[in-house]
Amino acid sequence: MNALISLAALLFIFIFMIYMVPALQETKGVRKTMLTSDPELKKDPDYKKQTAQLSRDIQRLSKKYASFTSGQSYIVINTTDNRFFLYKNKKLIREGFCSSGSYTMLKTEGERKWIFKTPKGKYWIQGKITSPVWRRPDWAFVEEGLPIPPENDPSRYEYGVLGDYAMSIGDGYLIHGTLYKRFLGMPVTHGCVRLNDEDLEAIYNTLSIGSKVYIF
Amino acid sequence: MENTEKKKLSTIKLILIIAGAFVFVFLAYYSIMMSMGPAKKLKEIEAGYGVKHDSEEKTDERFFTDSAYVSMLKEKSFLQSKIAMAGTDSIYMTLNIPDSTAHLEIAGVSVHSVRISQMKISKILRTGNNYAVQTMLASPMTIASYKATIKKEPLMIKMAPKDTSEFKPDVIPDTSDYEPVNYILDMDNGLRIYVYQEVADSSGSDRNNLFLFDLNDRLKTTWQSLKSAATFKVPEYHPFIKIRVPKADAKILYRAIPRKGQIAVYI
Repeated sequence: MNALISLAALLFIFIFMIYMVPALQETKGVRKTMLTSDPELKKDPDYKKQTAQLSRDIQRLSKKYASFTSGQSYIVINTTDNRFFLYKNKKLIREGFCSSGSYTMLKTEGERKWIFKTPKGKYWIQGKITSPVWRRPDWAFVEEGLPIPPENDPSRYEYGVLGDYAMSIGDGYLIHGTLYKRFLGMPVTHGCVRLNDEDLEAIYNTLSIGSKVYIF
Repeated sequence: MENTEKKKLSTIKLILIIAGAFVFVFLAYYSIMMSMGPAKKLKEIEAGYGVKHDSEEKTDERFFTDSAYVSMLKEKSFLQSKIAMAGTDSIYMTLNIPDSTAHLEIAGVSVHSVRISQMKISKILRTGNNYAVQTMLASPMTIASYKATIKKEPLMIKMAPKDTSEFKPDVIPDTSDYEPVNYILDMDNGLRIYVYQEVADSSGSDRNNLFLFDLNDRLKTTWQSLKSAATFKVPEYHPFIKIRVPKADAKILYRAIPRKGQIAVYI
């Protein structure tokens, strides 16, 4: 009986400290500044001047803020859901699945390592290529257990694996096509963004060099 | 013999009474100290973000109690924050409480919008000094630390095969969505933003996960508060905004915002 009472007391203390005290903080009144709408104050010339200035500031800032969203075409890539959204004249004109970085870290027994993730932030189209050829980087050989060939060895070049078009966003990252269409909507790439043929063509034709690419 | 036992019992009773009284006094003291926290925090907010009396451009203090004037100041302040954050090369988040929306933005472009299905806001943020609180929330704040049930970057380590015989072509990745998505962002101004996934009515495991995550946070906060109270200091109060959003959106927001990302709140 005594043990039960002790246990109940301990439980009460626990609940009191963990739940009841924080709840108490939210119920206790804090000094409140009452907002009013005094018609007399509104007639005050200084008030009129200040509100007019505020109104002008808000208009100017709103315009500036709106100017950040380009009227030109741009693309938004969601790497968590592996989806893309293509905009033109501030309107969504196409959306669909893509594949982005797999978040895999490839390590060799030596010191070399690569992290396959799609970079996030604001980028722009730096180059547009038709019938792109993939120049296989070192990791493409390491990943398959193959010896790394010299820099310009013919085995580094693969044709037709990037689809009909590719768009460069810098640092070696591309938006390109894929042979592995069943993986679209999944994080499987080495950092590039893969699209299906139709989406790739539409995006290639819509975006021009300098178009913004927003990746999150 | 009987007398000794009686004495023993009365001693135990006495000890229990003293212990009980001590616990009662401590709980009362702890409650008082804790209840002083919000007022102390509000004073700090007012000192940091309230009307500055020493500024050259003197503004009639009555203006700061006028709803239209305060509303315009709030809007201006929020726009200024968004423009400042747009100038960085980072992804940032804005919370629009009246609209019940959260937005991810990059360089001034809204790239993802989320509808907030439920929210709970600290009393001092709702009823405190409007001008100071709103200015604080509308100023860009930086994430100081965070706790989450999911990884920020779900990195998988793969050892390179020694030769082609060890090479295994990639299989379809496991994209099943079984992890609960709940997290707490501790901001540099003391504000805590809790983002919880929506809980399906039928999902007991979601509920249990959230309960355990919340309990863990409460235990840590209580431990910190106890340490402060034991040294006769008013425990730090963290004003909070708790939001519930769809699980997929909660994950998107968390993975997109940088570790030291910025957030501004329009309240």
